[in-house]
Amino acid sequence: MTTEQKRKIESVIALSLSGLAAAIGLFWLVYILSDVLIHGLGALNPGLLFNDPAPAGVEGGGLRNAFVGQLMITGAATLIGVPVGVLGGTFLAEYARGKKIARTISILSDIMVSVPSIVVGAFVYAVLVRPLHHFSGWAGALALAIIMIPVVLRTTEDMLSLVPWTLREAAFALGAPRYKVIVQVVYRGAATGILTGVLLSIARVAGETAPLLFTSFNNNFFSTDMNHPLASLTVTIFQYAMGPYKSWHSQAWGAALVITLFILMLTIAGRLILKWRYKR
Amino acid sequence: MTATTEIEVKSLDFYYNGNIHALNGISFPIYKNNVTALIGPSGCGKTTLLRCFNRMHDLYPHHRYGGEILFQDRNILAGDLDLIDLRSRIGMVFQKPTPFPMSIAENIAYGLRLKGIKNKSELIGRIEQALKHAALWEEVRDKLNASAYELSGGQQQRLVIARALAVEPEVLLFDEPTSALDPISTAKIEELVAGLKKDITIIIVTHNMQQAARVSDMTGFLYLGELIEYGTTEKIFTNPDKKQTDDYITGRFG
Repeated sequence: MTTEQKRKIESVIALSLSGLAAAIGLFWLVYILSDVLIHGLGALNPGLLFNDPAPAGVEGGGLRNAFVGQLMITGAATLIGVPVGVLGGTFLAEYARGKKIARTISILSDIMVSVPSIVVGAFVYAVLVRPLHHFSGWAGALALAIIMIPVVLRTTEDMLSLVPWTLREAAFALGAPRYKVIVQVVYRGAATGILTGVLLSIARVAGETAPLLFTSFNNNFFSTDMNHPLASLTVTIFQYAMGPYKSWHSQAWGAALVITLFILMLTIAGRLILKWRYKR
Repeated sequence: MTATTEIEVKSLDFYYNGNIHALNGISFPIYKNNVTALIGPSGCGKTTLLRCFNRMHDLYPHHRYGGEILFQDRNILAGDLDLIDLRSRIGMVFQKPTPFPMSIAENIAYGLRLKGIKNKSELIGRIEQALKHAALWEEVRDKLNASAYELSGGQQQRLVIARALAVEPEVLLFDEPTSALDPISTAKIEELVAGLKKDITIIIVTHNMQQAARVSDMTGFLYLGELIEYGTTEKIFTNPDKKQTDDYITGRFG
């Protein structure tokens, strides 16, 4: 066998192996998504969105409490996490650029991004839930915010670093004070990038279950009180999927489909904005 | 030629990155309503010198000034100087066009707002005036709300000049303003610079010796951080005193 033939065989083997690996990965993705779609579509009806849960074992009812709770917790987490993340990223890129503290915080945030979310849940449980002796929507929002902050912070830092330095010099040369240079010129240049980071970070936390189990817990009744346990889609899916009733299973599928679509939409929106921005 | 001194540089030293000595004992006057050109080979310190006049170096750590720069008899290297005020009186145009990511009109309004002008009709009037001043009005009058990035490189550079002029500075610094532009845009900018000196004082750093000869009244030749020779442009280009200047002008080095 010539070297050339040997190389060709090696190439075919490597190509088949990597193709197979990709196929295995894709297979499960398609399997899970189609499963959610098939089971979820059947459970999807207006009642799921607009009715509160029926008593256990009784047919009918919906998950209005969980949809509202999910939106409130995610919304509050966004309100806490985005300002902290954006301002933190601004500090790193604009005020502490090149300094040791900026590099340290950057590395720590990168580590924070990969901390298992259940650890964050347990942390908030220890500092907020235990001392107050009850679960609450705020605790859930805080846990999700803590997961969001490093993601938003790093994206903001990266996007601000992409804004050419000469643009800042030009603004300074006109006699602009530093905060005006950042808010009026640099933020404008980086706006779409930061917005994309925010959307992707919301998508990231919207699907979290573990941190909410320890913090906002669950509530079988409709509530908008952030000081008390609050239902969320993810925890409800967890509970209903484990439950003994067929109607629960079906509703859990419906909820899973809705949350998957929500996250998919956020991710697609984020990608589209990036594409639209860098095409020009 | 009137010879009112606008800026007096006195034994200026400049160090960056701790102890790198970039400018060494530079002294010369800059006359009002003149165009003063700074020429010299790459790395000679001409841009560094230019950036002392609006204290641009202050944006970066580890720098140190020595000596004095008197602007209308006040030392602008003094530690307690209001840099915002200084930079609104001594403007700057950079090598690459630096339009802000906003509309053409907003770019000019930006500097005006910094000066506290908020009245809408006054803003509109001043925007038109600045664009006319920079010979850009006719080209952009119908698309003031379009993004500044839609303009060509030469138009962007004139927009940036209009933006700098709008805040009515007394001195305007140009850092190789045409090195990124085509010959036609370059000619327009040079024409503009020549026309502006009746209103303001101009200091221009350039690599292009023909440009220095065409637009400037006074020329300074820098080499290795020192001002080798300073005089009228005519003298520097026809009959310089120093051999180094002559060698550079005639293209024997640099």
